[in-house]
Amino acid sequence: MIQREIAPVLAPLSEPALLPYRTLTLDNGVEVVYIHDSSQEVFKLDAVFEAGAYYQSRPLVASTAINMLNEGTRFHTAEEIADVFDFYGAYTDYNSGFNKSELSLIALTKYARETVSMLAEMLTDSIVPEKELEIFLTNKRQEFLVDNEKTSYLARKKFSEVFFGSTHPYSNAVTEQDYLQVTPGMVREFYRRYIHARRCRVMLCGNVGGQALEAVAECFGRLRRPDGEFWRGPQPFAPAPVGRYHVEKGNTVQSSLRIGKSGVRLGEEDYAGFMLLNAVLGGYFGSRLMSNIREDKGYTYGISSFNVSMPQGSYWCIATDVHNEYVGETIEEVFKEIRRLKEEPVGEEELMLVKNYLHGDLLRELDGVFAQSDALKHKLNYHTDNRIYLDLIRRIKDCTAEDLLRLAGRYWDTEEMYVVTAGKG
Amino acid sequence: MIHYTRQVLDNGLTVLCHTDRSTPFVSVNVLYKVGSRNEHPEKTGFAHLFEHLMFGGSRNVEDYDRHVQAAGGDSNAYTTNDLTNYYITIPAANIETALWLESDRMAGLNFSQHALDVQRQVVIEEFKQRYLNIPYGDLWLKLRPLAYREHPYRWATIGVSPEHIERARLEDVEEFFRRYYAPDNAVIAVSGNIGEARALELVKKWFGDIPPGSLERPAVPQESAQREERRLVVEGNEVPADAIYKVFHMGARASAGFYACDVVSDILSNGQSARLYVNLMKKRRLFSGIDAYVTGDMDPGLFIFSGKLSEGTDIREAEEAIDEEIAKFIRDGVTEREVQKVINKTEARISYGEINYQNKANNLAFFEFLGEVELINSEGARYRAVGPDGIRETALDIFRKENSSTLYYLKKEMK
Repeated sequence: MIQREIAPVLAPLSEPALLPYRTLTLDNGVEVVYIHDSSQEVFKLDAVFEAGAYYQSRPLVASTAINMLNEGTRFHTAEEIADVFDFYGAYTDYNSGFNKSELSLIALTKYARETVSMLAEMLTDSIVPEKELEIFLTNKRQEFLVDNEKTSYLARKKFSEVFFGSTHPYSNAVTEQDYLQVTPGMVREFYRRYIHARRCRVMLCGNVGGQALEAVAECFGRLRRPDGEFWRGPQPFAPAPVGRYHVEKGNTVQSSLRIGKSGVRLGEEDYAGFMLLNAVLGGYFGSRLMSNIREDKGYTYGISSFNVSMPQGSYWCIATDVHNEYVGETIEEVFKEIRRLKEEPVGEEELMLVKNYLHGDLLRELDGVFAQSDALKHKLNYHTDNRIYLDLIRRIKDCTAEDLLRLAGRYWDTEEMYVVTAGKG
Repeated sequence: MIHYTRQVLDNGLTVLCHTDRSTPFVSVNVLYKVGSRNEHPEKTGFAHLFEHLMFGGSRNVEDYDRHVQAAGGDSNAYTTNDLTNYYITIPAANIETALWLESDRMAGLNFSQHALDVQRQVVIEEFKQRYLNIPYGDLWLKLRPLAYREHPYRWATIGVSPEHIERARLEDVEEFFRRYYAPDNAVIAVSGNIGEARALELVKKWFGDIPPGSLERPAVPQESAQREERRLVVEGNEVPADAIYKVFHMGARASAGFYACDVVSDILSNGQSARLYVNLMKKRRLFSGIDAYVTGDMDPGLFIFSGKLSEGTDIREAEEAIDEEIAKFIRDGVTEREVQKVINKTEARISYGEINYQNKANNLAFFEFLGEVELINSEGARYRAVGPDGIRETALDIFRKENSSTLYYLKKEMK
């Protein structure tokens, strides 16, 4: 009979095996960063542009510009473009964030040439047809109206508004009216100013053999390189006074809660330690917030905290949807858990546990060629690469309970925290 | 091609092992052949509530999650109408921790009133968060009982209502465990950075001595053929736009009919060059979103048309437009390019699915559950075998008025 009373001995966790990447700089300045793995049949390409919300002159323009890329070029209609990708079983994806906008492609390597050349055509010859734009904005407006019925969306939006300031491009302060005011001219101007070789990096991974790398070099080599850069100047945050904010939404059965303040940026000295501290509080399934608010009290299906690093700064936030009756109690319990971390050192066993969890989590971020390329894409924005994981893992290992007390004291002044609720007040 | 070994242990546990050296991790995937279709009509939501309780500790494990996390692992689970699936990814060197945890809770779960009380509340909050507090969240709760009259697919995995979850008692929980959580009602798949023989040996070591279940597992009541068209109008919803759902009964996941239906749904709506997107969204602008898809259930499932209406579209006009697309499909058939496109897409989808070892463990367990694990390598051929004739026959067979249920989900009128 097997002895189940004793847990198997745990093996120490290994260091990640970093896959080597290479960089190819095209004549027009586009950097192609690639990781080749010949055992795959598939490749993934991300064309990353310094063209996020930060650069738009009014709401929605950046995300509209990136999403309109497949709606028509000088040579192909929207339907013809879709037909090419569909025919080869390829998927494209369009994303717009704070600073970057991205166009992604995943396809079989044997169809690299056909799919990459269509992708590049969207970047060199997009025309933003008026009719397609109107359909896009009408449908997006409807999605917005659906989102506006969700307390989680309302709380997130309010938090951004007070934290970044309602006029800052990061705040995502979109109204229904904004969908009616985006014109083809605005989108085309954004496309001209920001979607070009000077602002582009290509991440390529998987099986980039065959014709894939050649096709990328050839097609992305055609991206226009303007002589100068358009620059609107820096956009400082304009935060609202710290305090409690509520968004009223009647007839809801749950309320959404956001508590947050500035966080720690990747590259700052305390980044690794703060990652560990955040994990203890709300960064994994067994966190103190989950144990208290979900597993002990049953107020919520889930509660978590997270730190977001951005080129211009950072924020840290707790998010949950809770039973309407227990909003006040939840806020109190959250503050109680934060206070505990500022006053009592984390016990030896818990500290080891969270360190191991985080170590495992960082290994998972680097699990396989596609994950490594994704991680690298992010790290390159901070002028580093995946070698930073070795440093993070080492720092997390070295972090002591005293370090965490000090960090909690430094970063978690509850007087500096915004408390945002959305729901039935 | 995915290489795997399969063995059934003496206690009835099916073991599948697959090696993938591209990862430092292994995935341990335990599938129990129980879902909401096995529930009593008065005690719905039970399989899913039970999934939550599986994390509440077992005979020798006080805190399941703590051990997973200390080993650098990550775990989660999900419940569907047909099955409950638990999975851990863990650094390969710590695989025995995963097997210890999974085997200990299969051998004997702890039942505590406190855990039940708390998880009941958590699940009720989950019910609200996912089904009641978001627009269109309760749509399927209305649609299922329209399409099904006898089969337990008529309720969602979350259950008929929060009251059912409220009523769950400790003795129900214990009985449910003894009936369904036994090796002869489970499949374990291990994939990742471990040799197949070694993985099998370790599974035998940890699971081999767990006795098979002794309680009978009742057959699931099956749905009789539908003979009349069904319709339901739900008014006064707090949503910005009307929605329409039109569903047809179709074959089970493992039947030949499934593949034909999946191909039909791809031609209609997979990708932005597909018919519904081009004709109804872009050209006629009747919908802001439209989709056609299949459920892929163990028992005969549903072929679904779902659409969200553009502002100003009358819902009857929207329904007629869907009906016209169906009629056109049957009348005119499909083009060679459309068929080739689906074949290419399927080939690509299968390749994408083989990238991730965790996905492979999940799929191995699922196909074994369907009764034919080799499908993991032969599905492509099944899709390729569906020709233009099969597509047309299937459409004719499925898309009959008396085989349909239509739901109008209408927004609240502005006062």
